[in-house]
Amino acid sequence: MELNEEQRGILEGSRGPYLAKCMRWLVEWGEVMGAERLIGVDNTHALLPVPNQMARGASAETIEKYMEDLREACAHKTAPSCYCTLHVAFVTFDEVDVAENEPEALRMQKELADMGAEAGFIPTFTCAPYLVGNVPLIGEICAWTESSAVVYANTILGARTTRHGTESAIAASLLGWVPEFGVLLDENRKGSLRIEVTAELDHPTDWGALGYFAGKLAGLGIPVFNGARRPSQDEAKQLCAALATSGGVTMAHVVGATPEAPTLEAAFQGEVPETSELFDEEKLRATYASLQNYTGDEIDTVILGCPHASIREIAEIAALLKGQKVSQSVRLWINAARGTKGNAEAMGYAQTIAEAGGFILCDTCPTNMRIPAKRIVTHGFKQAHYARGMSDAEVIIAKTEPCIEAAITGKWSGNE
Amino acid sequence: MEIKGRGVVKGCAAGEALVADATLSFWGEIDAVTGKIIAVGHPLEGESLRDRVLVIRSTKGSSGTPMMLNLAQLEGNAPVAFVNAEVDGLAALGCIVNQIPMMTDLERDPFTSITTGDHVEVDADRGVLRVARKEKSNRD
Repeated sequence: MELNEEQRGILEGSRGPYLAKCMRWLVEWGEVMGAERLIGVDNTHALLPVPNQMARGASAETIEKYMEDLREACAHKTAPSCYCTLHVAFVTFDEVDVAENEPEALRMQKELADMGAEAGFIPTFTCAPYLVGNVPLIGEICAWTESSAVVYANTILGARTTRHGTESAIAASLLGWVPEFGVLLDENRKGSLRIEVTAELDHPTDWGALGYFAGKLAGLGIPVFNGARRPSQDEAKQLCAALATSGGVTMAHVVGATPEAPTLEAAFQGEVPETSELFDEEKLRATYASLQNYTGDEIDTVILGCPHASIREIAEIAALLKGQKVSQSVRLWINAARGTKGNAEAMGYAQTIAEAGGFILCDTCPTNMRIPAKRIVTHGFKQAHYARGMSDAEVIIAKTEPCIEAAITGKWSGNE
Repeated sequence: MEIKGRGVVKGCAAGEALVADATLSFWGEIDAVTGKIIAVGHPLEGESLRDRVLVIRSTKGSSGTPMMLNLAQLEGNAPVAFVNAEVDGLAALGCIVNQIPMMTDLERDPFTSITTGDHVEVDADRGVLRVARKEKSNRD
C-alpha cells in the first residue's frame, strides 16, 4: 500500500507507540483487503465497551488488559476533521435493577465514557446513530462499527463504510484515515443478487423478515430488492439490521430508495442478472416461522427497540399502552438512545409508558444481557436471532401491536 | 496431504481442525470465556474454538467479531488459525489485531478435504496447509 510521508512517519512512531499500532492495524488490514492507499475519513461510529459484559466470568487479567488498551486509545484526541460518535455501552447509566449494572462494570463504563468524551467522541451510546444526529451525507467516507448501522449508512444514506471492528474504528477516529477497499469504491457497490419482492410488507418487522431471508442468501454479497416500495426510516432500520444478522452484508440496494439505485440497472451498474430469488407471501410467513421456537403461551419479557427505537416507534408504543397496564409478570423494555428518550419525555410518551409499567432502557443493548427470561417477545429479527443463543429463553418474533398485547395480557395470542 | 492456498494474515500455527461449511459471528454466537459456539442450531453448536484451526465459509454478522476474538484470545480460547472460503474483513481485522494466521483460496474444497479432528499445520507465510487425518478411534 502506498503511504505518504506523514503516514509512514506515524507507522514508524513519530506520534508515539499507540498511534503507530493503530497505523499498523489500518495498513495491514488495507493490504489484506486489497487497498492501495489510505483516504480521509469524515465520520466514525466507535465502540468503547467494558469487557465484563461480553466475556462474563473472564479473569481479572483479561479485563484489565482490555481496559488498558481502551484507556490508551482515549489518552489521544479524535481527528479534528472527523465527526465521531459512540456505539452502545454495555451497561445502562440509569439506576435500574438489572444484573448487568454490577458496580464494578458500571464504574469502568463511566470511566470509559468520561475518557471517550474527553478524547472527542460524542457519547450517543446507540446502535442507531442516524436517529440522533449522526447522519453522514451521500458519498461521505465513514468508519462505523455496528453491522446494522453500516448497512443503513450504505444502503439508505448513500454514505460509504466497510464493516468496522472496535480496533479499526478507534484507529480511524484518532488518525483520520481508513484503508480504501470494499464499498468505499464505486465498482464494489454493484449488486450481486437480485430479489424480486412481491410480498406485501406492511410493518417494519416484515422488512426485518425480508432482510433475514436475504442476508442468508447473500452472505458477504450485495442484495438488490426490486418491486418493494420505498421503506420508511423504521422499516429501513429493521431491513438493515436483519441483513447483517443472517449474513455478512455490508450494503444492499432497495431500487427506488437507495440513493445510487434509482433503477434496477443502476443497482447492478448495467449488468442486471436474469435469474432472481422471489420473496413472496409464503416466504414472508416462512421467515417468521423459522425463528419462532416457543412451546407455550405464557410470556415474561417483551423487548422492543432493536435497533434502538425511533421517536415515532415510541409514540406508537405509548399510544398502544395508554390507559393500559403491563401484566405484573411481564418485563417490557423499549431500548432507545438517551437523546430519543429526552424527546419522549418532552412529548409525554415516556410518562405514558412508565405509567403502564414499561421502561425505556438507554445506553445499552439487551441482546448482550443475561435476561432471566423464559419466553421473550420482540419485534426485531436481530434481537430474536441472538436471544436464541445468548439466553436460555424461547423466542417469539412479531409486529409491535401483538408484542404490546402480549405485554398487557402476559400471554402470546399466536397472531404475528 | 499438502494443500496450497493464499496466506491472508501471515504466521504459522497448528491444531485440530474444526470444520463446517457455515458462517459464524464471533459476537453473539460464541462465548469467549468457555470458548464454545453457542448459536442455537449452528452445525458447530457446543464445539470449542480453543486451539482449533477454524475451517468455515466466513465470519458474518456483528462488528463485534474482532473484539470478541481479542477477549477469547486473552482468555486462552481463540482459534490458532482461520481457514476461510471467503474473507470477511472483520475476521481479517481480528486476525491482524490478535496475530492469528489466516488462509483462503485453497486449491481444493476445504470442506471435503479437511475433517473435524484432523491435525492441520497452517503456514500462511508460504501459503501451505498440511493435513494429517485423525486416527479412526479419535472422536468417532
